[in-house]
Amino acid sequence: MKAHLCVSALIACSLLTCVSFARSNRDGSSPNSHLADMASSTPSENEAPAAAQFTIPGPERSFLRMAGISQMVRPEEVLPLLSRNVFIEGYQGSSQPTEFLILLRRYVVQARELTELAAKNDMVIRVAGCEDAQPLLHILGYRTRPDCGKSDTALLTDDPERAFLTIDSGFPLPDLERTLQGGKAFEYPFAPSPVPVIFAGSEWTMASKKNHTENSRDLLDTILNDPAVARLYWALSRIEPETAGFLQQSIGLQKLLPYAAVLDFYGRELSISGGRISVPGGVAAESAWNDLVGASPDNPSAFVSKMLSRDKGWLAAYFDVLSRANREQQAYFTDPHRLKFFYSALLSMDSSDKPTRGTFRPVPEMLLLVSRLPLDSSGEPQVPGGLDTWKKILEGHHQNFVRKVAKQADKLARPDDLLRIMFALSRTHESELLQLYMALGELDSRRSPEHRLAPATVQLLAHKFEDYSDQYRIFSEFPELGDDSITRFLEVAQSLNSVPMAFRANAFGTLQASVGIWQILARQGQISQPHLDESWQRVIRPFASIHSAAQLYDAGRTSLGEIFRFSLGKPHGSQDDIIELLAGPPQTTPQGKQMHNEVANRIRSVLDDQRLVSLDTLLSVGDGLAEKERGKHPEEYVVLLAAQTREFEMPRPIFSNGERTQWAAGIYNNHHTDVEMRTDLPKLLKAPTVSRAQIEEARGQLASFLRDTLVGLNYAYYEPPGAQALHNNPLFVRSHDFAGESVTGISSLWQAPVLLGRGTPAGGGAHFVGSLADLPYALAELEQDFISPNSVQALVWGEMTPGMLTSAILPRWWNVSPLELHAVALYQKSGEELLTASEKDEALRADVLAILSSRLLPQQARRLEQAMRAGKVADIIPQMMPADAFYLAAEFQQKHSEQPRVLGTSTQELQELTRQHPDQVNWKRLSHDFGTPHPVMAQNYGPELLNVAPMPPFAGSSSRFLPECWDSPNLYWARLADEAGYPPVMLNRLVPELTQNMIQKIFATDFEDWPALLRAMHETGAEFRQGKLGSPQRISAVQH
Amino acid sequence: MVRTFHFAAVLSFLLFLGNETATRAQDSPDIHVVVNMVQLNVAVTDNKGNYITGLKPSDFAIFEDGIKEKPATFAEGDAPAHRLDDLGQEASSPAPSPDVSTGSSDGTSPQTFDQLVAGSNVFVLFDTSDYMYRGFVFAQDAISEFIRSLAKADKIAFYSYSRDLSRVAPLTADRGELLQAVRSTVAGDQAALYNALLLTLKDAAQNRGRKVVVVFSNGPDNSSVVPPEDVAEFAQSSGVSIYMISTQEARLEPVSTAVFDRMTAATGGKAYFARNWRDEHRAFASIRDDLAHLYSLSYYPKANPNNGWRAVTVRLVGDRLKKYKVRTRNGYRPQPNRFSGGDKTTLSALNP
Repeated sequence: MKAHLCVSALIACSLLTCVSFARSNRDGSSPNSHLADMASSTPSENEAPAAAQFTIPGPERSFLRMAGISQMVRPEEVLPLLSRNVFIEGYQGSSQPTEFLILLRRYVVQARELTELAAKNDMVIRVAGCEDAQPLLHILGYRTRPDCGKSDTALLTDDPERAFLTIDSGFPLPDLERTLQGGKAFEYPFAPSPVPVIFAGSEWTMASKKNHTENSRDLLDTILNDPAVARLYWALSRIEPETAGFLQQSIGLQKLLPYAAVLDFYGRELSISGGRISVPGGVAAESAWNDLVGASPDNPSAFVSKMLSRDKGWLAAYFDVLSRANREQQAYFTDPHRLKFFYSALLSMDSSDKPTRGTFRPVPEMLLLVSRLPLDSSGEPQVPGGLDTWKKILEGHHQNFVRKVAKQADKLARPDDLLRIMFALSRTHESELLQLYMALGELDSRRSPEHRLAPATVQLLAHKFEDYSDQYRIFSEFPELGDDSITRFLEVAQSLNSVPMAFRANAFGTLQASVGIWQILARQGQISQPHLDESWQRVIRPFASIHSAAQLYDAGRTSLGEIFRFSLGKPHGSQDDIIELLAGPPQTTPQGKQMHNEVANRIRSVLDDQRLVSLDTLLSVGDGLAEKERGKHPEEYVVLLAAQTREFEMPRPIFSNGERTQWAAGIYNNHHTDVEMRTDLPKLLKAPTVSRAQIEEARGQLASFLRDTLVGLNYAYYEPPGAQALHNNPLFVRSHDFAGESVTGISSLWQAPVLLGRGTPAGGGAHFVGSLADLPYALAELEQDFISPNSVQALVWGEMTPGMLTSAILPRWWNVSPLELHAVALYQKSGEELLTASEKDEALRADVLAILSSRLLPQQARRLEQAMRAGKVADIIPQMMPADAFYLAAEFQQKHSEQPRVLGTSTQELQELTRQHPDQVNWKRLSHDFGTPHPVMAQNYGPELLNVAPMPPFAGSSSRFLPECWDSPNLYWARLADEAGYPPVMLNRLVPELTQNMIQKIFATDFEDWPALLRAMHETGAEFRQGKLGSPQRISAVQH
Repeated sequence: MVRTFHFAAVLSFLLFLGNETATRAQDSPDIHVVVNMVQLNVAVTDNKGNYITGLKPSDFAIFEDGIKEKPATFAEGDAPAHRLDDLGQEASSPAPSPDVSTGSSDGTSPQTFDQLVAGSNVFVLFDTSDYMYRGFVFAQDAISEFIRSLAKADKIAFYSYSRDLSRVAPLTADRGELLQAVRSTVAGDQAALYNALLLTLKDAAQNRGRKVVVVFSNGPDNSSVVPPEDVAEFAQSSGVSIYMISTQEARLEPVSTAVFDRMTAATGGKAYFARNWRDEHRAFASIRDDLAHLYSLSYYPKANPNNGWRAVTVRLVGDRLKKYKVRTRNGYRPQPNRFSGGDKTTLSALNP
């Protein structure tokens, strides 16, 4: 197979990260393209002093295409993003340029040639006809065929290298072609494009070491040829401008060059103003920072210099992580003793690892530890199970280095001692124990003080963590599940590991699917809170002692019966009953009934397309077998129903078995389906006599079909908008490999599923290996590539999209009151009113900025403050995250509601609503009803609002921090729905549709392109308001 | 218990032909299967590959699972489709003797072709993945020429794909817009050919008239999650023919070769493996030639208890035609619409 070629930034990005970035015609940019730059970490003219300029050759649009930059960016973002793309995408190894960089450099050469051509005509490339076309065609790499000047004259490739640049940069070739066919003269403005430069171009060219040894280059050449300069340029562009300017003046670019990577990863929280640097913990912590860094915050130049150079950058990483914590956590961590105590732990591990290794910022666990550490009412960290339990956990841990750390366990006298160990682990590559601590912390902190996890449970969870950790999220989501419930589940799961391989996968799948259905119904409130613990135990208990496939079938039925009993109040039910349950609680309004039917029909549609046998059939056939065992001949219709188990046909094969073995070894495995297709239940039912063993075997065969249908219900419930695999690959559900039959090397089958078979045409389609834990995300990740971006140059943003889809499909709005919906809109409007009022009220401004300081980077906060002072808040409000406005209002109401102030109408209305309906308008309820799941950050699939600032991008599973910290869309959709007068139940349709629409519009450049997200969201909102979305009729049909 | 087969023409044909449905009932569980009117694009050639034109409806015999079917409509090239009477004859069109068209593989006369393909909906799917990098500009040239050559054909859509599908130009008759679209594509990223082809087929299936998808791909697929067999089945079931042009690399890659050959054959299309840009141009010319000489036949399936795959065979009737070869899709699968639709016959006790 041909190796990948790295053609452009798009390609390079995908090779490195599978993220989508893109470019398109600037002329086609949205009217909202000026929006959403507040979250951008690149400078804007708002606060920067009159910026120097640099001219890039040719149209900006063409340059952006070649440089892998979104067409939506503002001019001041061009050089920073170019710099970023050059150092991230431009080199293989240390110095070998990638195809992306080679092409970009070639383009610059071509653009300069075209500029020379255009210079002859006032910077316009002009071709009157065939006679004067040749110089241009030579540069472009095209020739005419047949002879020029005829109606069928076409341009054909002459020099493929040049032609590729012509096409990739978007040169208007068809227009030129029409001219050469005898049309009007071709005119194409080709003026250089001025873009702002941070500092002055000469500062950068002089700083480049490469320019000392080679011919002096201009700024563009310097960036394209010196990755160190490119990285420093990018890093400084993301630092608050006054701070960046101070660093340039006081330290100088040349001295900063060696620390470009440190500044890139850990520099954004630096804030120098008035001759002082702000430190985590504020003034109270300055002394401690002075001691730790060896320089006073009053001397920012020395402070930053020493911090950057200390311990390969670990001190800067520590500073950055603590800066991102909220005020309470900062107070805890920056206690003078703790600040040094914890930092010393970071250095205690004998590791040569730098905190600047890799393309992405490493050590995500340290950031999570600091930002999500649960503190108890006394301000101390919670220790699930107590310190003695953790001594045992550490001493008994299987990893060598943990046992090494455990030598310190004897000293575990305080929670701080445990935290210190966690800090030490956070910088290692094997941070499983830290993950355990965080997971159990999340789990325990949601429980009431009198129902904290018992030490034995903590030990059990620790013991099983490696194999079952992803299953623990359900215990976080439902703190009502007691120690006994947790223990029993783990015991049952363990026991199923020992059932014969012949039906082990069915056992795993049936139990997990039953638990998955329980989870949905519990989340939707259809299993009442007082019964959660009991119903859980009832659902899992039937699987406790499985020795045969027939027993498994019985267990599946019993478990399903318990679900019906606790949700419907009766022990029996049909497939329609379970679908109706999954489709949400019964509705009384016409809109509610319509939404309920839509959700139910979507589930039915998936079951149909997967060609799954109906539950009713499986239960009836099971009854028929029971009758047969009692010597009664089953009814004819039962035999006919049983025939349904034989109706499934494999897709018409394109490959022979031999070809599959050769081309998809280890991927193609439909053993489960093959076994099902060999069953012949009608024959057995029709047979005059059958043995008990035959009946048992037949019931065991039914277990296989029962698993498929129960698993299918889970898949169908979490169907992402635009899904195709669920509807076009009838083997998709059946192929879920619960027992690792299709692949070796996956030891933790109870963990989140792994996708197998992507891009393997002979493999029979992609399928999951592993458990149903994390199914919503896994499905979204698989189905995301069926969303087609609107821009021809955009790709679906692989790191963000699955998280956004998960947040759109998991929350449901069955139990949300119109009052709540209105309150969510008011919170956002109130936040905006507070921002506006801050223009003229200095005290209010201070309060507002204090609240937002924990959610905004210094660069953003400074920009907001400047807008407030300049009376330009109206310009910046569209650039605010809806969640920021929401939190601002919520926090303000909590902290300052007693202060007499002239407030806006929305704020007044909100306060009145809060006073009149405290049961509905309160943080806890709104967080539950309008929040999103945070399975990685908070180990919990239950929707909630997390008050956290945007996270930096990480690699691996921690890349999910990024979408999980973005909780704005659902709040914004709710506001739109409220404004348009929709009932809350309509969000069940609107949110997936609007989210899909938004994803199609995202046109991002890099991993932190929050402006691109906001822009897409606002564009979607604008279309919604204008009735331009695809289904306005459907939406308006139920508008009240 | 009632088992019902519900034969319903797809909407497009309801509009086109009027509402013709048939219903059969049998004693069985309540299982519904929707069967659309089946449309076939049929190419008839001699052993040298020359197209045989001038055949009449009675020259064709259609079998579904061995059941002889009655043709409902018939058309040749771009001629409007005629409804056929109970005897399978057009009321007024004396059938001429069959002609052998010697249209060469490098193209037919523009007038003939333009006349014949009018009414077709041609979806061009262009591979812009990393794999296409080296041949990207030449491929654009070839596609542009193909689009120009379809001057009077009804509508063309131009899509591109890498990891995601891009609907660069929706179905349109505006050639200028299409050429602009071709030249606006950007190379890069992984290749999800079968994902993109599935989405393209779904778009194509929504249109009336003859529908074909022309894929220009380097071959390999390293990102799709749906397998080619599901994509082929969808094409067969929705009556869309697939033509695939690939570069030499695909021929060197056995998986792509197998898929291209077999998927196109199953849908009644053709596969081409171009060694250079000249071959690419010839391949496009051959597709134009093929489209120009297709017969369109349709039928409403007779009662058929088979809810699964239904094999379709088209044969030429009479000794004088036996020597010719017939190419069309080889079957289809009725759309499932059952199981969860509410078999409410038995709500049995759940506990064993």
